[in-house]
Order: sequence, then structure tokens, then C-alpha cells
Amino acid sequence: MENTGIGKFAKSFGISFAITSILSALLVVLKESNEETVLAWMASITGHHWVTHGIFDLIIFAGLGWALSKLDSGQGLNISANALVIVIVSAIVVSEVIITGFYI
Amino acid sequence: MENILLLSHPALGGLATLSALWVFVDTLNVREATMSRIKNVSLLCAVLMWLTYFLGGYYYLVYYAADKAIIKAGPWAFGHGFFMETKEHVFLMLLLLATLLPIVTAGDLFNNKGSRKVALWVAGLIVPLSLSMEGSGAVISIAVKVGLLFKGQGG
Repeated sequence: MENTGIGKFAKSFGISFAITSILSALLVVLKESNEETVLAWMASITGHHWVTHGIFDLIIFAGLGWALSKLDSGQGLNISANALVIVIVSAIVVSEVIITGFYI
Repeated sequence: MENILLLSHPALGGLATLSALWVFVDTLNVREATMSRIKNVSLLCAVLMWLTYFLGGYYYLVYYAADKAIIKAGPWAFGHGFFMETKEHVFLMLLLLATLLPIVTAGDLFNNKGSRKVALWVAGLIVPLSLSMEGSGAVISIAVKVGLLFKGQGG
């Protein structure tokens, strides 16, 4: 019989991707709506707000993915492939709507 | 130098898109003998996307300010206000999605239906997202051209 389970890193980094995407989209709204404070602070860290934004995304993605893979005594998250796909697709749609909606 | 960067960025992005499409089609027809190829092409897709990011990012940080001024002063100001602003932030999501691809294809795609489904969706989502980046880049390039023509006509 065919195995339907998915690897713990696929699950943990898949969920991490979804969370990071939405946080990244929300950060776009936050920084662009507060140019004098948030955007200026992000620019002061690396010299450009977009570079800081990218580093923020990478740290969240890698850190959260690694942390989620350690859950349940190292077994990782308990989530089906169907649920993971729904979470990933939903996160992409929501992030796209937030970003494009903000700049329209 | 900047023109080489400007050409390399969409060229590598196009190759990353083709790699994702390759992974999608190969995963649809996966056999035990093709699993290592899928893993390798997934990794290639991620590497190409990262190179696209670094080259495009370098151009954006070092050279784009002049283009931005031309676009904003021209009739296609939306080339920056909507397309570039959206592109630079959606690309960060695409970069993570391409990074996720070799992670999900590291599983046993031949014997594992769940892994196969996730790999198909991730590879399949990279393609339209990448194409939207290529399209946005084209609009931005035309916006610069329109801005220069406008400026040349005394606008």
C-alpha cells in the first residue's frame, strides 16, 4: 500500500513558508504606512529597507521551520498533505491580495 | 555592467521557471529512476532563483534609482508605483517558495502520494508567480522607455 505521509521538514518548512509570507505582506503595509518610523528604522539597519525585509523573512522562515520540526519530540508537525497544500496556497493568495491591494 | 545585470536577472529567472516546470512534469510521471533527477532539478531551481535575487537585488540597490526617477516623471508612473513595488515584495515570497521546493522533493516521491502532491503544488505555484515577475519586469522596462521618450519630447 502506498505511503501518504510527508516528511517532517516538508511539513515544518511548508507551514513556516505560509506564516512568513503573510508576515512579510503585513510588514509591507506596516513599513510603507509608517515611512518616518518603521521604514526609516529598517533602512538604518542594513542601509535599505528591502534588504532588511529580506533578512527578516529569511530568519523567520529558517527559524520557524527549524523550530516546528522539533515539535512532538522531534517528530515535527502532524498535518496531512492536503491540509499543507491548502495552507500554502491560501498563504500565497492572501499575501498577494495584501501586497497588490496595498499598492493599487 | 548594469545592462549585463539587467539581462541576467530575467534570463536566470526564466531558467528557474523552466526548472520548476521540469520538476512539475517529472513529478507527474515520477519513477524510481527519475527521483534523483527531480531532486537535482529542484535544487537547481532554488539556486537559479537565489542568483536571480542577488543580481536583481544588486541592480535595484545600485542602479535603479535613476530609472525610478525617469519612471516617476513620465506618463507610466505606475511602472514603479504598482509594478516595481509589488514585484520587489512578491519576489521575496517566490524566493522562499523556490527554497521550499528541494525540501519537499527530498522525500520519496515515487512511493509517497502526499509528498508528490505537495511537490506538484509547490513547483506548480512557482511557475505563474515567476511569470508574473517577468511580466512586471517587462512593464517596468517599458515604463523607463516611455519616460525617456516623454523627457526627450520636452515633457
